[in-house]
Amino acid sequence: MNPLTFIARRLGAAVVILVILVAAMFTLSHLSHTDPAHAYLGAGASKSAVAAERAKLGLNLPITTQFFHYVGNFLHGNLGVSYRTRNPVTQDLAEYLPATMELAFYALLLALLLGLMLGVASAGHWRGARILKFVMVSGASAPLFLLALLGILIFYGHLGWLPASGRTSMPNPPTGPTGFLTLDALLAGRFNMLINALEHLLMPATVLAIGPAVSIGRVLRGSLVTVLREDYIRTARSKGLRERAVLLRHALRNSVGPALSMTGLQAGLLLAGDVVVEQVFAWPGIGYYAAQSIPVGDFPAISGVTLVLGLGYVLINALVDILQRLADPRVRI
Amino acid sequence: MAMAEPFVTRQQSQFRGPSAKHHLPVSLQTRLREGNRPAWYAGSLLAVLTGLAVFGPALAPHSPLVPAGAAFTPPGHAGFLLGSDSIGRDELSRVLYGIQTSWFSALAVIASGVLLGGLIGLVAGATGGWVDEVLMRFTDAFLALPGPVLAIAVVAALGPSLFHTLIAVGIVWWPFYARIVRGEVRSLAARPHLEAARLSGASRWSIMTRHLLPGALPAIVVTASLDVGNLILALAGLSFLGLGAPAPAPELGAMAARNLSYLLQSWWVPIMPALAIFLLAFASNIAGDFLRDSLRNT
Repeated sequence: MNPLTFIARRLGAAVVILVILVAAMFTLSHLSHTDPAHAYLGAGASKSAVAAERAKLGLNLPITTQFFHYVGNFLHGNLGVSYRTRNPVTQDLAEYLPATMELAFYALLLALLLGLMLGVASAGHWRGARILKFVMVSGASAPLFLLALLGILIFYGHLGWLPASGRTSMPNPPTGPTGFLTLDALLAGRFNMLINALEHLLMPATVLAIGPAVSIGRVLRGSLVTVLREDYIRTARSKGLRERAVLLRHALRNSVGPALSMTGLQAGLLLAGDVVVEQVFAWPGIGYYAAQSIPVGDFPAISGVTLVLGLGYVLINALVDILQRLADPRVRI
Repeated sequence: MAMAEPFVTRQQSQFRGPSAKHHLPVSLQTRLREGNRPAWYAGSLLAVLTGLAVFGPALAPHSPLVPAGAAFTPPGHAGFLLGSDSIGRDELSRVLYGIQTSWFSALAVIASGVLLGGLIGLVAGATGGWVDEVLMRFTDAFLALPGPVLAIAVVAALGPSLFHTLIAVGIVWWPFYARIVRGEVRSLAARPHLEAARLSGASRWSIMTRHLLPGALPAIVVTASLDVGNLILALAGLSFLGLGAPAPAPELGAMAARNLSYLLQSWWVPIMPALAIFLLAFASNIAGDFLRDSLRNT
């Protein structure tokens, strides 16, 4: 198959999945235990006011018509109005999204780096591989909030090395053009702001990265062990190459495929964990927005966040598949 | 047993061999009977956890809901082994009750995932053709969605409660099992002994239940036991976000979340329940590892 055809087909599949996601959100909004008309008007609204509001929201139309309206609104970027903030959800999301994107980007990067290190270190029979395995199982068993709480307790409470909340503690952070505080600070030439932003990122990004890093490391270890049994590795060893060169230059390249797919899958876990981590670190992203919306049952806000996180997940996985295909033309999906 | 001996060892050598991908199907019971230690370790560990979950509340020294002393007593003081919380309730008692909820919730979701996913995978794999195609497309669509994120939306829509959490996680958790069972069944269906069964005129039902299901069982058991830890963590995350049982209920995730603000002044109040989740997930992951070692090579 031609690479362009492959990319087109993969993106087509992503669109189908998105349609399913939108349909799921529509169904859930109808199962929702709060009536939107009541939620907007408050508990003391009169019957006629509620009826008028229902008509205005289109809740009396046939269900199929409502679905087409919902999809049309989604395509126009209209996700309804939040019960809590009374703003259009799209407007709220646009405000909170850059912080989440920055955090998720650094977390994913960190997860890949840590996963690579864990995988290579545990596949090569180095000293400490057993301890490493123990650390990996522990890391995979720790709930995110335990890691976050311990991090705050130690690095903020006792040592005072890292800040515990927010994106920055400096006044007048740059507001554009990318929305990534680290990048904006760099573009504005404010290096102390860059350092400050990185300090704030370090703890939440690490907490988010540990679980996915362990999974990536395990998969990488598995495929490395298989590849290391191949004939060409024996050839490389018999040429007299050092084990490190064999591992890093010959074996690693043919082993990263499964680890990359795992990264795509782990992105889903990372995005769900993002809601918890943003809540603990008061990171002003869409996860924080969702966590604030959950206790008050603000379903339009929650479904907006779900759609954005779902979109991110689907896109990351499509990208991973396309990258794999470009790296190795034998890949079939 | 002298006659059976050589046969067993041959199976064993095939099974343990580094390149033996297509080992002979050895029944679950045979493998457990052969006195392998990892299986016993796994079994005892799981038994201890279940015992703790069943008898935990009976061991609790105080009520999980009624204050029993001064607020914020540090661990080990005034009879509070794990300290007391912001209104003087015993942390140990609350944690013991929380462990019961966590453990049985995880088992319930695993069971529903195995049943639903296993059934779909078995039917798809055993029938083939368009049934297989339709069922697996359906499964793939579910797999392509970010499950944990979707679960948050489902509970938020249905309204926060433990039961709704279980439903939501159950909805997103089965597709994985459908894939695994279908894969196992497809590879088993091509084996000679299945062909022999078909030729001998066995009905589709008896092939499914007597030949395919037992063959797929080891893979299901290993996957499920390695999954319990993940599930404990996922459920704890939802509880942390306030999607579980309402306020006074001793749920581990919610206990950590509600006491977040006391972290720096009385660390044990939010940390103890989080630690309990860690220990529960860690123990079940170790048990899963043992079980995998005992049932599978590599």
